Amino acid sequence: MEKSIHKPNMTLFRRQALEWSRAPSISRAVQILKGLTDFANYAFAFLIILTLNFVLPRLMPGDPLEAIYGEEAMVVMTPQLEADIIQRFSLDQSLSEQFSSYLWALLHGDLGYSYYYNDQVMNVIMGFLPWTLLLAGSALIISTLIGLVLGIESGYLRGKALDKMLLASLMFLNGFPDFFVGILLLLFFGVIWGMVPLSGALTPYSDLTGLALVSDILHHLATPLTALVLVWITSTYLLTRNTMISTLKDGFITTAKAKGCRVGDIKYKHAGRNSLLPVVTSTGLHIPHVLTGALFVEIVFAYPGVGLLLYNSLLTRDYPLIQGILLMVTVTVLFVNLSMDLLYHKLDPRVCRAR
Amino acid sequence: MHVDYWKEITGSNLGRAGLTLLGLMVLIAVFAPLMTPYTPHQNTDTKAFSPPSKDHWLGTNDARQDIWTRLIYGARTSLEVGFGVAILSSFLSVLIGGTSAIFGGLYDRFWMRVVDAIIAIPGIIVIILVATYLKPNVLLIIVLLSLLMWPGGARVIRAQTFSLKERMHVSAAHTFGAGWSHILFRHIVPDLGPIIVAMMIQDARRAVFMEAGLSFLGVSDPSIVSWGKMMQFARVYTFLEVWKWWLLPTGFALSLTLIGLSFTGFALETALDPRLRDDKHVEGVN
Repeated sequence: MEKSIHKPNMTLFRRQALEWSRAPSISRAVQILKGLTDFANYAFAFLIILTLNFVLPRLMPGDPLEAIYGEEAMVVMTPQLEADIIQRFSLDQSLSEQFSSYLWALLHGDLGYSYYYNDQVMNVIMGFLPWTLLLAGSALIISTLIGLVLGIESGYLRGKALDKMLLASLMFLNGFPDFFVGILLLLFFGVIWGMVPLSGALTPYSDLTGLALVSDILHHLATPLTALVLVWITSTYLLTRNTMISTLKDGFITTAKAKGCRVGDIKYKHAGRNSLLPVVTSTGLHIPHVLTGALFVEIVFAYPGVGLLLYNSLLTRDYPLIQGILLMVTVTVLFVNLSMDLLYHKLDPRVCRAR
Repeated sequence: MHVDYWKEITGSNLGRAGLTLLGLMVLIAVFAPLMTPYTPHQNTDTKAFSPPSKDHWLGTNDARQDIWTRLIYGARTSLEVGFGVAILSSFLSVLIGGTSAIFGGLYDRFWMRVVDAIIAIPGIIVIILVATYLKPNVLLIIVLLSLLMWPGGARVIRAQTFSLKERMHVSAAHTFGAGWSHILFRHIVPDLGPIIVAMMIQDARRAVFMEAGLSFLGVSDPSIVSWGKMMQFARVYTFLEVWKWWLLPTGFALSLTLIGLSFTGFALETALDPRLRDDKHVEGVN
């Protein structure tokens, strides 16, 4: 449809029809319809995960109970607990009934019981979530800001020495996997120079309060945060640089130069602001990865976030916890994506019309 | 405008550096048995954790295995997964993206919903979950990674095919009664060659990274040598000197492979994007 708008030989009638389709009431209906299809997409993705979650343990040969809770759990399982679980998962019933009881439990917010942490899966995840949000959230903000500034500078000076150096070094840095960057930082700053703590998010049993507590948290945060920022900068940088390069070819930049605007103003107020949109979009799309993106860094630094929890539950074969985390993360990802989609139409009218 | 993509890549410094690194890694992987007298799983007579020497270029690990040998055999695993995923995933992208654009209609809408759904799912967690239940091996990892990676490429291919579909030679072939497979593989694929190669490089990069990450987490075939697994084992012994010739070379080998892929990919993408190509007269305006 977008292509046909620019066709010069379009009949008057069709042009008129297009004008009408822009009428507020119709476009509103189209928007709602679009929202509904978006929602259907997410429901579809959610259903895939739910089914995976449900089917995989039951595909395993042997006892589904053993597959859900792992062989190790069977050793400590009392007959009464076993009967309890069989009743809860309706394991003695048909597959369709099992699926409906699984969905029923999920609707009640019952993600299952972690025998390793001896608590509801939901409670366990909630205890680890804030640390991930602190680490990955601040890393996302800092890396976006730095990437933006470097990208604007580099795009403006395209082909100059600074641009070439920045491009090569950031691309080089981007090649290092996050867990290797984490290990290197930990080795040098933690093990060899002893400047930062080796693991955790807090000094245990220190009973710190107020400012001392904050500085302790920051002290633990410094190295994992640096590792994440180093790894995440490049994508924002490359995107900003590319957008800057094409924005700088636009007419209004030449006008700004001809008017005698200061270089700083052209860079940031004219070209920079116009290059912002794709970057904001990509950062938004990156938000869902906040939960899983810190996985490796959390493991390397033993930082008590969701990633570390997932890793531990893998090691202890805590299947209800693994499934619970997967479900939580997917729900968050889908929720953020959905709200991004809905917000997007409000944020950028140009995009809305182009569709 | 005709663009010689090979010349564009070899003409840029990043492209040359990337291709050199990649070539080096492929040579190491192919000729691994010629470069060492040991096999990767062989327990040598040298004692564990011995420093680099004439017999063992990078010393030995905790199981008295030669680290250099394991390092060069590890390149095989990484490249196998990288190439495997690049081929399988881009094949799926071309097949589904291409046919969606050719057929259109309900078929197109169905696959685009699937693409949206898979993109919204956090891949690494799904692989961890699936690989926890099924016993992981190289082939399974390749298949799983491909199943998660094709949607991004399928979108690109679909968009490109839509515009190609209207071109003279494709509609001519259609008029003469060519089937969809003929149109897709004889007309669309050759025209999209450079884009597909760029897509494959991107996929390979992500696959090498994911394989290393997964084996770092312990999700890998226990019988194969993998860089991620080596780093995970080496990480435990940081209190000894051994990390200098065990952990660091492995990490750098992995990083250099990834850097080789990103440099090559970046050079190709710059050549592909008309806005980013270094047009001299446009530069002159600024």
